[in-house]
Amino acid sequence: MNPPRLRLIVPALVVVLLASIVLAVTLGPADIAPMEVWQTIGHRLGLVAESPVGRLREAIIWELRLPRLLVAAATGAGLALCGAVLQALTRNPLADPYLLGLSSGASLGAVIFLLAGATLLMPLGAFLGAAAAMALTLLVTQLLGGVTPSRAILAGISISALAAAGTSLLIFWAVTADSYREILSWLMGSLGGVVWGEALPVLAGVTVLGGLLLISGRALDAFAFGETAAASLGVDVTRLRWLLLGGTALLTGILVSIGGAIGFVGLVVPHIVRLATGSRHRLLLPVSMLVGAIFMVWTDTAARSLFAPRELPVGILTALVGAPIFLLVLFRYRRIT
Amino acid sequence: MRPLPAFLGVFTLLAAAPALAGTDYPLALDNCGVSLSLPAAPKRVVAIRSTSTEMLLALGLGERIVGVAFQDGLAPEPWTAQSAALPVLSEKLPSPEVVLEAEPDLVYAGWESNFSIEGVGERATLGALGVATYVSPAACRSIVPPKLSFEAVFAEIAEVGAMFDVEDAAKALVAEQRAELAGITPDRRGLTALWYSSGGKAPYVGAGRNAPQMMLEALGLENIFADVDDGWISASWEAVVDADPDIIVLVDGERNSVAQKKALLAENPITSQLDAVMHQRYLVVPFAAAEAGVSNVPATRDMAAQLAGLSITP
Repeated sequence: MNPPRLRLIVPALVVVLLASIVLAVTLGPADIAPMEVWQTIGHRLGLVAESPVGRLREAIIWELRLPRLLVAAATGAGLALCGAVLQALTRNPLADPYLLGLSSGASLGAVIFLLAGATLLMPLGAFLGAAAAMALTLLVTQLLGGVTPSRAILAGISISALAAAGTSLLIFWAVTADSYREILSWLMGSLGGVVWGEALPVLAGVTVLGGLLLISGRALDAFAFGETAAASLGVDVTRLRWLLLGGTALLTGILVSIGGAIGFVGLVVPHIVRLATGSRHRLLLPVSMLVGAIFMVWTDTAARSLFAPRELPVGILTALVGAPIFLLVLFRYRRIT
Repeated sequence: MRPLPAFLGVFTLLAAAPALAGTDYPLALDNCGVSLSLPAAPKRVVAIRSTSTEMLLALGLGERIVGVAFQDGLAPEPWTAQSAALPVLSEKLPSPEVVLEAEPDLVYAGWESNFSIEGVGERATLGALGVATYVSPAACRSIVPPKLSFEAVFAEIAEVGAMFDVEDAAKALVAEQRAELAGITPDRRGLTALWYSSGGKAPYVGAGRNAPQMMLEALGLENIFADVDDGWISASWEAVVDADPDIIVLVDGERNSVAQKKALLAENPITSQLDAVMHQRYLVVPFAAAEAGVSNVPATRDMAAQLAGLSITP
């Protein structure tokens, strides 16, 4: 059984996440008093009779900050969850949507749909790209002689490079000097300018797919002992594997289509969480989601506030923070093993 | 037949006489921190970006252009027909081989970044091949040029005039633009403005150092990003909405048109709340006129006329 401190960790993190959102929504380039921010949100939710701020400040709070914060939280939760699930499925500590080529595949799919003028179908393109990249990575891994961590990573890196080259070629061929900047910022990962119309699919996707993936925690625990062991515990290995892989591809596609390829969250968060919770997925998955959400809320708040009135792609910050943390994690593993 | 060569000699002297008052070659000058030496007036020029093409056409040097590349549409009147006849080496940034094939003795670029391995080639490499390179001084990156002024734009006109030994044309053009600029009355209503170049998620906007700021100042408009010490920046919509500019200047690019920008501003749930969007208070500036060059003054005059036509009740 979990020790008491671990049983409390999920409710505690929920509180921290909610507090982070409540606090972060008061921060931004526009100088608005925290009480006015909260009253405005209360007003929009029908809790407060009058908004204390004018039309534009209300729009800043309700149309800019809130959807973006919720998307940041959902993106962090979704990426961390995808990373944790992929790490379990491939029994590979280095697996994450970024390294297995899913993010690059999703970017390529999204850019194809974007340049074809089907902006609204970008999530579909991103999903198709992510799924195709994942299928290719797995196929190459199989052709190399079966799934091992190093084979999966090498295959993922090749597929990722291929998809990235395809994206670069499309940009070079079709994009003019001016729109290049915008696509570049999206490729680096940015949540700038997210509106409710984009936020809702992300929130729904993370809630539904996240919920389904969470339920798989018990089966993933069986997976961790190897496929034969999982089968002997009554898990339909093949079916579950495809369901989970499809689910992570779909979720990655949705996230990439809105925020671009935000790296390191899926890789680093599960590792940090594992240090505290151990590798039982029933606990690892929800805690990873919450920590990922809190991490993204604060990195994105930094991205939109630190250099105001400039906008920094948040992917730069997640890599800046994530890569050193990942190195620390690697060193810690070395000491343990 | 001895007298003929002597006669020709006199002719040569006469022909050379105006040159004595003009440029002395070799002409040495410093351009974006790179020393440049022109052995003679360039005769075969490749122009990268529209600003350099327009500069050459405005100085009457159209016949020396052997190729243009990476243009934003045709030049404005009265050079439109002439610019349409110029050989286009590449729609986008050409490779060094494409540029060298045109056998230029000068490559004149609107952006310093055009001279890179990914683009036209490094300046030193081209220089070693006997091809001189020149960057519009306002676009220097390797040295930081002072905040752009119309005087600096006029200085570029004079410098290019000296390089090509057409100083009289340059002087006439500067005099004409100076007079045109003097005729522009700054707006006195104390209005603020956003200079919106491109972008949807993170708008690319004019800040406090380059052509956008220079033109806004001449129009009597206060740039909401005047305090940011840069030419252009990727700004956050929150900062734009917080400032709620009275006017939005829309840069009209060939593929990023004014109509697209207006639609984007009107459809987005946040930008549609801006006063300038709700009241359609827009000024339009052609893409090439949004960077330092000969089109700045005419475009500023044109925007002043648009601005005078906007009624704004606070």
